[in-house]
Amino acid sequence: MQKEIQNFYHQLQEKGIIFSFSGPISQSLLEGIGQTLKQKMSLEETSTNVIHKVFSIFVELMQNIINYSAQRVTPEEAEQELSYGVLIVGKEEEHFYIISGNYIHEDQKGPLQEKLAKIKSMDKDELKQYYKQQRRLQADDASKGAGLGFIEMARKATHPIEYEIANMENGYNFFVVKAVI
Amino acid sequence: MDIFTREQTKSTPWIHFDPQENHLQIKGESYPENSASFYAPMMEWLEEYLNAVSNSNIRVDVELVYFNSSSSKVFMNLFDRLEESARNGIHVEINWMYHEDNDTAFECGEEFQEDLENVVFNLLPIEE
Repeated sequence: MQKEIQNFYHQLQEKGIIFSFSGPISQSLLEGIGQTLKQKMSLEETSTNVIHKVFSIFVELMQNIINYSAQRVTPEEAEQELSYGVLIVGKEEEHFYIISGNYIHEDQKGPLQEKLAKIKSMDKDELKQYYKQQRRLQADDASKGAGLGFIEMARKATHPIEYEIANMENGYNFFVVKAVI
Repeated sequence: MDIFTREQTKSTPWIHFDPQENHLQIKGESYPENSASFYAPMMEWLEEYLNAVSNSNIRVDVELVYFNSSSSKVFMNLFDRLEESARNGIHVEINWMYHEDNDTAFECGEEFQEDLENVVFNLLPIEE
């Protein structure tokens, strides 16, 4: 067992992975990890602007899992709802990256693909205009977020965001998105 | 009308809206799980306050180190509501305060400023 875990740990380190989490995600977990992530980056004398960008994308992706993951546990009492997903923060050749993954329902796939394709086709000025336009739209009732998260991510990232959505046998889709800062 | 106030938490700012002084203050970070529901009481208070206020100068001080995208939407609503009052003749001054080395906070302030016409919107750097 020791060998297995040690290998797993070293593999993560070799890949430059600073932080990885898989399982139930909640707002309080986000707050805790977020603080540690900021602390870690500032100890390494990362510039304030990079810290803000990494933290911002981290929050958007964690909250995306919290709000939209199809795999979730809703308690009967008014406790915190838990959503499942995976999130990885790493560093590759001087660039931080964040990857998130979670299951989505079949009916979430189309709108998500459409939105991400649109964002991917835009340059920074177009993204800014799109962000401002969406920010003034009335929120649709089914959405807990503001529909701005991926636009925000694309604006903060230094490379175009990458994503993949794969059909699963269980009728769900697995959605993965990566941002490089 | 009573003062509207909220203590600061890790993911929500300190809020202090004083109707007697006509001074509204927000300070901290904002990334609650559900921004719309967190800020709903603040927006309700504001609506009631702005409906009652007349002939005053309203001062709004905002110092946000970081806020998430759904909070951004709430702040746009907040500023749009103040903009409406400004259009109706109330003097509204918004001071957007940011730390000098925080480009993100400056740019966010600038983008709100670009979308507002009738309020006075100042971008004020805080020196380290």
